[in-house]
Amino acid sequence: MADKKNYFDRVHIWGTVWNYAALLMMMMVPVMMSIILKTWPSLNIIGKVVATLAPLYWVTGIIEVVTYVPMLGAGGTYLSFVTGNISNLKLPCGLNAMENAKVRPNTEEGEVISTISIAVSSLTTTIVIAVGVLAFAKVFSTASDNQTFKAAFSNVLPALFGALGASYFAKHWRLGIAPIICGVIVLLIAPSTGVGILMFVTIVVSIIGAVLIYHDLFFPLLKGIFGKKKNK
Amino acid sequence: MEQFKESPAMYAIAFGVIAFIAAQSFFFIVKSWKHGKELGIKRETLMNTVTSSILFSIAPAISILVTVFVLAKALGVILPWIRLTVIGNLAYETVAAETALNNLGGSLSKEITDMKQFSTVVWAMTIGSVFPLTFLPIVCKKLQKKIGGAVSKDERTAKMGDILSAAAFIGIISAFIARAINGCTIATEPVLDAAGNEMFDEAGKKITQKIITESSGALSILTLIFAIIFMLIFMTLCRKVKALEKFESFAMPLAMFAAMACAVIFSKILPPSIADFTWYEVGKAVTGNG
Repeated sequence: MADKKNYFDRVHIWGTVWNYAALLMMMMVPVMMSIILKTWPSLNIIGKVVATLAPLYWVTGIIEVVTYVPMLGAGGTYLSFVTGNISNLKLPCGLNAMENAKVRPNTEEGEVISTISIAVSSLTTTIVIAVGVLAFAKVFSTASDNQTFKAAFSNVLPALFGALGASYFAKHWRLGIAPIICGVIVLLIAPSTGVGILMFVTIVVSIIGAVLIYHDLFFPLLKGIFGKKKNK
Repeated sequence: MEQFKESPAMYAIAFGVIAFIAAQSFFFIVKSWKHGKELGIKRETLMNTVTSSILFSIAPAISILVTVFVLAKALGVILPWIRLTVIGNLAYETVAAETALNNLGGSLSKEITDMKQFSTVVWAMTIGSVFPLTFLPIVCKKLQKKIGGAVSKDERTAKMGDILSAAAFIGIISAFIARAINGCTIATEPVLDAAGNEMFDEAGKKITQKIITESSGALSILTLIFAIIFMLIFMTLCRKVKALEKFESFAMPLAMFAAMACAVIFSKILPPSIADFTWYEVGKAVTGNG
């Protein structure tokens, strides 16, 4: 038991060091690019963008941490949050490896298998993307400059979010109706509403919709929270 | 001029990021492997974990690569490459880049040729996504010890977490779908004289006007509908046909490309009055905010 405590504690120390090193490295990317280009963005615009995105990203970030930590284990979590693509790659990969090895999350064996699996997955992904970029970047660049493909590249966003949306709507179709209708109504009133503001509206509507649709799941919890407050 | 996005110095930054990820991954593999042996986990089990994780990751990695190329049209290949290698997630990166460009009167549909716009996008994408790293070490240990066990045991809490995450994500997607149905982009552009030169007022200030630079219409709606249809078909095929099961992670990029191919076909075969139809006239000057 003492050993177990020691190992998890050590993983948290390693994870913390790597996490903040990654944060520093990440922040160096825009700094280096701005130095190379000799162009810095105006604080005003960055402020506007951060003010638009922060509530969205940061709330999602908190939800992700709370959701994924128990499933990924400590080492897996630190690696996953640095290398990204958690829900579509790291999480299923780690869970699959633990299942294959017949170990459970939150045990020391689970921690070892999950960490190895997610680290290997991160390396594989990094290598595939790097090789692909180096091998095919020129081919892609020539193709995308061609006039024939103009219609395709002008419609990247509808194609991307249509496909991405379909995979989510297939699982949770009831959640999609209210935010889409609401987004369309906002755009009928103000057609040039920026995607940041529009997203804020659709996310709020989507979450309220989810709580109402799955009321049997959420209401007891809300009742519990408000009940406790009343009792206090 | 646009070469600035893919200069050797930019490649050097990308290789630096890759070296960091590789070092971190190797570090954790070595430490876990050693501890695995101490725990008595068989070498065969550890090797199987490595092999199955490589096989498991190849297909999703290729789909991530495809999305790097999709964003590369506007942003060059280096920035999407870095952003999707570290923390990156296609939806978040696209949202951050598009929000930044909207504030500058641009859009991801067009190639960025302005260094200031590019620099702004780089900063916006980074600041937006690094947030979890600022507090993860503080909460990770506590969460794992206190809530961790409970959440993994309590199906109800886990289900609520799943639904809220899905709802937040669907909210993001819905905004883009709504814009593909009936949105437009307005940008401030300089007013040009008959010779195509910029005009200035008496105070020497550049005269500008707000114009519609982009609008949804027949083609964007058709692309959206076909992306949804292709995705549903591919997903169903992958789930119903046993031999296609392993290709499920390819469904998203394939559906996206098939829908983009449809956009090209429709732009060629439909009469211009339909193919070029947009809700708002592109190039038209507007007053107010639209």
